[in-house]
Amino acid sequence: MHPDLTLRIAGESGEGVITIGETLCQIAAREGLHIVTFRTFPAEIKGGACMIQVRLSEKNISYHGERVDFLVCLNQEALGENLPDLKDHGVLLCEAECDLPEELLGRTVYKVPFDRIATREIGSRISKNIVVLGTLSHILSLPKRQIEGFITEKFARKGKAVLDHNLDALQRGFDFAERNLGKKDPYKFPKGNEQKMLLMTGNQAIALGATASGMRYFFGYPITPASEIMEWLAVHLPKLGGIVLQTEDEISAICSVAGASWAGGRSMTSTSGPGLSLMSETIGLLSMAEIPAVIVDSQRGGPSTGMPTKTEQSDLFLALYGSHGDTTRVVMAPTSVPDCFRVTALAFDLAEKYQLPVIVLVDQALSARLETVEPRLVKRTPSASRLTAKLREDAPFTRYQLSESGVSPAALPGTVGGEHMVTGMEHDEKGNFACDEEMHTAMTVKRFRKLSAIEGDPLTHELCSYFGDKEAEIGIISWGSSAGPVEEAVSIAKNLGIPVQAIIPKILNPLPHQELKAFLGKVKRVIVPELNFVGQLASLLRSTYRIPTISLTKVKGVPLEPTEIVKKIVETAETLNVRSMKHYGRAG
Amino acid sequence: MEEQDRPCEYLSGVGPVWCPGCGYYGILSALAEAFADLRLPTNELALISGIGCSSRLPYFVKAYGFHSIHGRGLPIAQGVKTANPELTVVAVGGDGDGLAIGGGHLPHIARNNVDITYLLFNNAIYGMTKGQFSPTTVLFPITKTSPFGLTGESVNPSALAIVYGASFVARGFSVKKEHLKDLIIQGMQHRGFSFIEILASCSSFNTTDMNVARIIKNLQMVPEDHNPEDEIEALRLATDKEKINLGVLVRNPRPTLGDKFQEMQKKAKARAPEAKAQAAMEDLLAQFA
Repeated sequence: MHPDLTLRIAGESGEGVITIGETLCQIAAREGLHIVTFRTFPAEIKGGACMIQVRLSEKNISYHGERVDFLVCLNQEALGENLPDLKDHGVLLCEAECDLPEELLGRTVYKVPFDRIATREIGSRISKNIVVLGTLSHILSLPKRQIEGFITEKFARKGKAVLDHNLDALQRGFDFAERNLGKKDPYKFPKGNEQKMLLMTGNQAIALGATASGMRYFFGYPITPASEIMEWLAVHLPKLGGIVLQTEDEISAICSVAGASWAGGRSMTSTSGPGLSLMSETIGLLSMAEIPAVIVDSQRGGPSTGMPTKTEQSDLFLALYGSHGDTTRVVMAPTSVPDCFRVTALAFDLAEKYQLPVIVLVDQALSARLETVEPRLVKRTPSASRLTAKLREDAPFTRYQLSESGVSPAALPGTVGGEHMVTGMEHDEKGNFACDEEMHTAMTVKRFRKLSAIEGDPLTHELCSYFGDKEAEIGIISWGSSAGPVEEAVSIAKNLGIPVQAIIPKILNPLPHQELKAFLGKVKRVIVPELNFVGQLASLLRSTYRIPTISLTKVKGVPLEPTEIVKKIVETAETLNVRSMKHYGRAG
Repeated sequence: MEEQDRPCEYLSGVGPVWCPGCGYYGILSALAEAFADLRLPTNELALISGIGCSSRLPYFVKAYGFHSIHGRGLPIAQGVKTANPELTVVAVGGDGDGLAIGGGHLPHIARNNVDITYLLFNNAIYGMTKGQFSPTTVLFPITKTSPFGLTGESVNPSALAIVYGASFVARGFSVKKEHLKDLIIQGMQHRGFSFIEILASCSSFNTTDMNVARIIKNLQMVPEDHNPEDEIEALRLATDKEKINLGVLVRNPRPTLGDKFQEMQKKAKARAPEAKAQAAMEDLLAQFA
């Protein structure tokens, strides 16, 4: 019995590779298994190599697995490309036509003429993926009835002929395996714990979290890999009385958000790096005019058009600093699909409570990742709201009152007696433009007081994940989707006898100083793994805490692998044996 | 509800920053009179602007005002109207703000028929930055940034609005205050996107393009028998080389963006019978099971 199984299905885009993976996920989620997936997208609109990797486990997992136990290849090209990632004792299931390289001698390989079964026996080439599913269900002892049920759900609306075709394909794939393939490997579909899990992508969890938090106005412009958020909301938000509008560009999207939000509606947009670049002027406006907004950036390889379908964590600087002048904003970074729900929902509370823009950073790998979510984790209602003024007839309303917390009570347009100006110009308490030095200083300080208040707000507590040994001298600080590989690396290092501890802050502006300072006080070295070239988080940590960091960066368009992090841990452990160093906390 | 009927009750008390002799004073005055005639409660009025001399207008009016960034008044106004359809939303801006930097928004606000009124103050110059040419500069080619003349032709704001599909297009003149007031009232009463181009002279940096004497000499009112549903004829009037036609050029009511949103919600709810928020939220979760 293998409590943990990593499969990869590889082929050409259009062969139904993703459907195979998603079907396995659906079945596993209903069985109560934990799932994390990773998929690659070709840059081509049609065709091109693609794959989906599915890791199934009885236990909670946070990473899709580095090398795979079970590899399915639908063509020669997929075999060549993916074979290096097959574990030494891993199993290959491939198209019978494929030539097997010598290195596979002595290993378990199942060859099945998927193409022939689909084209000759069934008469439909596109049903090949379902044949594969049938074969897999036999080899891995999948619950076949459930697969049939799932296929029926998926194809019933396409008519009886299509459905029968697919059920036939499933049966033929199964039968071929039963007749011709003796079980030669130890792998089996793990057993779930009966508690049904929800299955969704990071993008869907973001959309759902926003919806649960009361967001009803979405404006956006299509961009890979964020479009799915808008597409999902376009179908579902109107059911709740909300709206989704595709605007002419990202500037229009964020400006429409600004308008809708000023008028009182919880509003958002989602985009990727190029869109966030275009939005940066309006982020300054939101900061200056003190208007709530939530902006999701699903990062991809940059700069410019870069690698639109590949992952990267290289927009941190843009999220932290993009826009001119001293701008206030909150930057958050969820680490997993359930986290996407939680952090996005919280982003709205912070935006409303502190009347400023909140940027949520995810990346292509997390956006597209299918992962299981416990149903209890997607229940939420708004827990903070915008402070509104008690209007008095005898005193004029001051929209930008210089309050102690920095938060000034608002009056929503429409309110009797609350007429006021909001403006991108520096202004006095009433909102009239005022360019004198005292006012600019007083208002800037007031706006930044909100960031201090956020740091102390219980809403932002418990926004750090911790892994590993609390006494360890080697520390890791990382962010976003790199948390999964870090968690995995920490446990591999532990098995190697190297204690490591890690902290993953999910809020990057303002930084959780208390937690980070406490962490830095305990460790002697800090490794900062992240998916960009210059080490953007490492740079932020160095400038904020005046500490040396060991940057581990990668710009290959794919997530970090735990072994890459382990290598750095081992190197660091070696230097620690040579010379000792003062604790950061004391040195600072 | 605070109903007003005197124009001065729509002024905030903040004094305009405009130069003496600026054509915009006439527009502010016509606007306040239009609000008074319509007896609009000030709290239900939202004025949105971009950047430029004209975009300062919201400060001078008693209403909910939003002075934003260059070229972006229209999408902000779209957001305001979307989140609170009860508000009367007026966007104001100049020729540079609306046709240069913000020129990409106009076609989409127009084709979506967002129910707002857009007053485009056309003085054919950048006044706030002290005298650079704008997309509508034509007769005054030597400006601070075009010392050797203009590189391109000028655009015609009303003609653009017509071809973009604005459901109401009119042209007024700051000097013809009563006529302008009437156009603004008609525009605000029109359900859908109302585009009003307002010719006004810049007393400091370009008195040529919108020269008052020349406009008075060349203007003519849109003929009474003009059919405002005839967009081709409207385009001819808007692009007339001999005469400057003032009046309502297009009035073609059709469903607004707000109407489309309601339709969208109706269709979506028909798919999900339980429309109650909580039930619907659980309904959303069901698809991930």
